[in-house]
Amino acid sequence: MIGNDVVDLDLAKVQSNWRRKGYLDKIFSPAEQTLIATADCADEMVWILWSMKEAAYKIDNRITSIRNFAPTNLACSLAFYNDELNGSVSIQDRLYFTKTSVLPNYVHTIATPVYNQITKISIEIYSQPNHPIDYKSLNAGCVSHHGRYLALVY
Amino acid sequence: MSNEEIIHKLKPIITTYAPASAALENLNEESDFIKDLNINSANLVDIILDVEEAFGITIDNTSMEKMLTVKASIEVIKEKLSEK
Repeated sequence: MIGNDVVDLDLAKVQSNWRRKGYLDKIFSPAEQTLIATADCADEMVWILWSMKEAAYKIDNRITSIRNFAPTNLACSLAFYNDELNGSVSIQDRLYFTKTSVLPNYVHTIATPVYNQITKISIEIYSQPNHPIDYKSLNAGCVSHHGRYLALVY
Repeated sequence: MSNEEIIHKLKPIITTYAPASAALENLNEESDFIKDLNINSANLVDIILDVEEAFGITIDNTSMEKMLTVKASIEVIKEKLSEK
């Protein structure tokens, strides 16, 4: 089982004001807020962590059938290694491995419960107006759509 | 506060973050923020912060977990108002 989440950074900028009072406390743990406060680019770090949580939630929701909005229960950890942003998200006793790509216009995270599987995931990201006409027929393992971007993983 | 009064107060908040749709026009207790109203999940936090301000309540994370529908939000709002 795989998960993915794309964030269109230009849309996020106008759609969400994460600097709003109380906003970060509802989504991020104190440790995650420290990562944001000390990051070179705080905006980028907010959406890296958010996309990790979303990608992991999409798998967790299918495994457990639990549908809720509890972003602080999804605990992110991050490690930089050879320019790759690897990490994990734990939800109670369940652990998901993640890999995040940060590009100038979007952030994209893939997630899997099986560590070895992360390198085997293939990613297709389309930007408007070049979306496939009927992406549902492509039977992707997980679909994410935000702003100009459509991300499919297999 | 009745359910109708709460929905009346919720509607402008939800309208700020939901794209225009028939589901938004027909907002009711069964409306689901994400599935029916297509609200971006990052904006759910904004809705919760706006609800806190509009109703003068504090919504803890455990209560926030359930707030994916109008019905669940009404329940949380009523519970928090009764604790005031």
